[in-house]
Amino acid sequence: MKGHSVQPNSYAASVARGIWAAQVDLVGYVPSVSVAPVISALVETSGGTSGRSRTVFPLSREEEAAGVLGALPLAGKFGAIVMQDNGFGNALTALTTFNLAYHLPLLIVANTRGGLGEYNSMIHTFSRHAPALLDRVDIPVFEIDRRSAASDWEAVVTEAGVHAQMTFRPAVVLTHFWNTDGKAA
Amino acid sequence: MKRIEALQIIAEHTGELPVVVTCAASSRELAAVADGPNHLYLLDAMGLAGSVATGIALAIADTSMRKVVTIEGDGSLLMNPNVLPTAGFLRPEKLVMVLLDNGVYGATANLPTYASSIDLGALAEASGWTVHRTADPDGLRGELETVLSLDGPVLLHVRIEVGNAVDVPKLLEDPVVLGRRFQDWLAARITAPVGAVR
Repeated sequence: MKGHSVQPNSYAASVARGIWAAQVDLVGYVPSVSVAPVISALVETSGGTSGRSRTVFPLSREEEAAGVLGALPLAGKFGAIVMQDNGFGNALTALTTFNLAYHLPLLIVANTRGGLGEYNSMIHTFSRHAPALLDRVDIPVFEIDRRSAASDWEAVVTEAGVHAQMTFRPAVVLTHFWNTDGKAA
Repeated sequence: MKRIEALQIIAEHTGELPVVVTCAASSRELAAVADGPNHLYLLDAMGLAGSVATGIALAIADTSMRKVVTIEGDGSLLMNPNVLPTAGFLRPEKLVMVLLDNGVYGATANLPTYASSIDLGALAEASGWTVHRTADPDGLRGELETVLSLDGPVLLHVRIEVGNAVDVPKLLEDPVVLGRRFQDWLAARITAPVGAVR
């Protein structure tokens, strides 16, 4: 990621601006090709390099991201996770028995896989069901795609963060990058 | 040393620190010997205590709170061993993990964990943690004093006996209540320096 500057008007840069505008203190990420530019933008705008800054850092699995970033409100702060939607399979127990059960707000921005623009022949077997699974466990999901402008993506991400804090629970933004200026898969 | 003896000693040394404790017998026995608002009991989410404590350690980095302590079991740590390389990479200075290792899943018929043949302390060392070890009450007292004065991430690997304390009541409190009292307790004790992030 070092040296890759993200276009300020891109969807990825807009998502990053939306995250910061949600008054997020720390961002943890589990990489995906679609959100790599988002991560680069977050790192760049927080003064870091090589995928890491003082406030943006990688994590190796989504369930630990739910624990690490989800714990911040216990100390008066607010966290966000940037990840890929198939990682919700790894994180559901943590999200329900920790974040939801303890009423801890958390902003999650996840790119979608398995839909339009997908090359992988099996990833849809999970990703196709991610919105319904999240809805089933009472985690609100806001989906954005090619039909709205980058500025709308920024606003949705920010407002989802507000929603998470207002409702004391995680809120998920699912970003469909296909046919935007970003990569779908 | 039994788990409940170890927990009593840990509680005596951590009364003014936030403590995140793993689920089942560890939480129940700690609550039985020394309940307090500085304790965050994870009633489920097995394996997440270390991650939660890592998050708190990052959140209090610029505050006056000295440390956050997490009490883990070997079975629970093995549910989410990622916590070791993650903290080794992020290097949260205020993170202290006390690993109560009896080599079995205490809640499930004492079936063996990998810790019966794998050294979890060595796993932490390989991940960049400072590791201290003990197996008796006096050693635990002394090592707690030591590890609470070191820069984290620090693991205190404590070998304990197999077996749960008898007649310890279940923890039946609402997690929202447990989380809120912990949050309020911590909020009253952390003061961020001027100019720190939020």
